[in-house]
Amino acid sequence: MLLEIRDVHVHYGKIAALKGITVEVEEGEIVTLIGANGAGKTTTLKTISGLRPLSSGRILFNGQDISRMPGHKRVLAGIGQAPEGRGIFPGMTVTENLHMGAYARKGDVSKDLAEVFELFPRLAERKNQAGGTMSGGEQQMLAIGRALMSRPKVLLLDEPSMGLAPMLIQQIFTIIEEINRRGTTVLVVEQNAQQALQLAHRAYVLETGRVLKSAPASELLDDPEVRAAYLGGGAGAAGGSGGSGDSGDSGGKAAAVASAPGEAAVVDEPVQKTAPDDRD
Amino acid sequence: MFGNFIDQFWPSTIDGLSLGAIYALVALGYTMVYGVLRLINFAHSEIFMIGTFAALATLNAIGLSAPVGGLALIGLVLMLAVVAGLVSGASAVALEFVAYRPLRRRGASRLAALISAIGASLFLQQLFARVLIPWWFDLPKEKGALPIPKHFTETVDLLSIGDFIIRNDKLFVILGAIVMMIALDQFVNRTQLGRGIRATAQDPETAVLMGVNIDRVVSATFMIGGVMAGVAAALYLMRFGETNYFVGFLLGIKAFTAAVLGGIGNLRGALVGGLTLGLIEMYGSVIFGSAWQDVVAFSVLVLVLMFRPTGILGESLQQARA
Repeated sequence: MLLEIRDVHVHYGKIAALKGITVEVEEGEIVTLIGANGAGKTTTLKTISGLRPLSSGRILFNGQDISRMPGHKRVLAGIGQAPEGRGIFPGMTVTENLHMGAYARKGDVSKDLAEVFELFPRLAERKNQAGGTMSGGEQQMLAIGRALMSRPKVLLLDEPSMGLAPMLIQQIFTIIEEINRRGTTVLVVEQNAQQALQLAHRAYVLETGRVLKSAPASELLDDPEVRAAYLGGGAGAAGGSGGSGDSGDSGGKAAAVASAPGEAAVVDEPVQKTAPDDRD
Repeated sequence: MFGNFIDQFWPSTIDGLSLGAIYALVALGYTMVYGVLRLINFAHSEIFMIGTFAALATLNAIGLSAPVGGLALIGLVLMLAVVAGLVSGASAVALEFVAYRPLRRRGASRLAALISAIGASLFLQQLFARVLIPWWFDLPKEKGALPIPKHFTETVDLLSIGDFIIRNDKLFVILGAIVMMIALDQFVNRTQLGRGIRATAQDPETAVLMGVNIDRVVSATFMIGGVMAGVAAALYLMRFGETNYFVGFLLGIKAFTAAVLGGIGNLRGALVGGLTLGLIEMYGSVIFGSAWQDVVAFSVLVLVLMFRPTGILGESLQQARA
C-alpha cells in the first residue's frame, strides 16, 4: 500500500471537517474522491500534504507514519500536489514556477523540465511568461507540471477541471492518464464526477466529512444512487464544479460539467449545516 | 524662499539622497517582513538602534587617536557595518523567535503579533535606557545623546565642482546603500533561499507544497532585514555622529513611511520610497525651513497615497518580480 489514510479526523476550530475518513491508494492506481462542495475532499488532500493538522487518525505513506511530519518534508518523501485554485506564483515566470517544483530536490532538473515541456508543449511556448498572466487551462497545466518536478510517488490533484471548458478538461484528463501510465500514482479530487469516474480505477464518494461509498470507478458509474446525486441522472441535478459557465456544449457528458448555480442546491443542502468551513 | 532653493539645490540633493539611503535600508526590513508574514514589525526600529550601539562599541574598542581618511576610513566603515549588521541580524532573528514565532505556531491573529511587536519595541528601548547604557557607558540614567569618538565624525570633502561639494561620509552612505541593494536583489532572485522567500511572499501555502521550510524562510527574512538595518546604523553613526536609546523611533517611522510610499512588500519600492522621502525632506526644509521638514514629508505621503493607494511602485512582492 502506497498511501493509507486511517480514520482521520480534522477540525477547523470546533467544526469537524473530516469525521473519520479512511482511504487507501495502491501503487500505480488512479483513485478519485468525488463529492459535493464541502464534503471534505480538499481538506483530505491538504491533510495528506501536511497543510492541515489532524486531530486523530493516521496517515501512512510507504508504510511510514507521516501524520506528524511537517508539510515541507512530505514533498521530499514523495507527495506532490497541484493545489486547489492551482497556486501558481503570479510574479514568477513559467520556468521559475517549474523550478519551484524542484525546490526541495538536489541535482540536475533539466531532464524533468524537458519531460514537463514534452507533456505540456503549451508551457514550452510560454516559458518566460509571468504565471499570473496565463489562462486558467495553462495555469492548471503549470500546476500539474510543477508538481511533477518533485518526482512524486503519488500526485495529488485538487479539482483539475475547475473552471475549464469541456475540451480543455478532456485534454487535461488525457494527460493525467499519460502521467499515470508513466508510473506515477494519482489521487484526484473532483466535483466533475462523470469525468473523474471514467478516468479512475477506484473511487470514494465523500459526504459531509465521511466516506459514503467506495468501489471500482466503473461500478459507481452505474450505481443508481451515485447517478442521482452526482451524475445528474434523470432529474438533471448536477454536482458540477460551479466553475465558469463555458460548458455551452450540451453533449452527453456535459450534464456533469454544466452547473447553473441554482441546480446544485440538491447536493449542497446537507453540506451547509455541517461543514461550512471547508474552503472549497 | 525659492531663490534659496535654487542656491541650495545640489547640496540638499546630496543630503536628501544620503538621508534617503538610510531610510531605504531600514525600510527593506519592514517591507520584507511585511511581504512574507503580512506583519508590521514595529520593533524593527530597535533593531536599528541596537546596530548603532554595536557600531559605537566597536569604535570605542578601536579607540581612534586621529582622524582617518582614504582606505583606512573605508576599512573602518566596512568593519563597523559588518559588526553592526551581524549584531542587528542576530537580534532580529532572536526577536522573531521570542516575540512572533510562538504566536504564529498557535495561529494567533495578526493583531496579536502587532501588539507583541509594540511590546518588544518598548521592552528593547527600556532595556537600553535603564540597564545596558548606564552599565556600558558608566553613566547615570541616560537622557541625552551619547558621545561618539570625535575623530570618526570629522569629515573630509572628497571632491568639489564649483559649489557642488561631496563629503566622504555622504558618498559612503549612498554607495553603501546601493551595494547592499544590489546584493539583496541578487540574493532574492538567484539563490534557492531567495526563491523560497519570494514563493512564500506570493503564496505561503503553495510554498509549503513545494518543500519550502517556512520557519527557515521567516528566519532568513528577519536576518536580512536586520543586517540591512545594522548596516544602515553604522552609516547613520558616521553621518550624524550620535545615538541614544530613542534613536530608532522617528527614523523607524520615517523608514516605514518610505516603505509605504514606495509600495510596501516591494523591495525596489523601499529604495524608491526611501530616496524620495529623503529628497522631499531636504527640499522641504530648504523651502519652508527645517522646522517644516517632517510636515512636508508626511503631507507628500498623504498626497501620494490619495492618488496611488498602493504606493509609487504599486504592486507588492506578491506580484512583482521581487
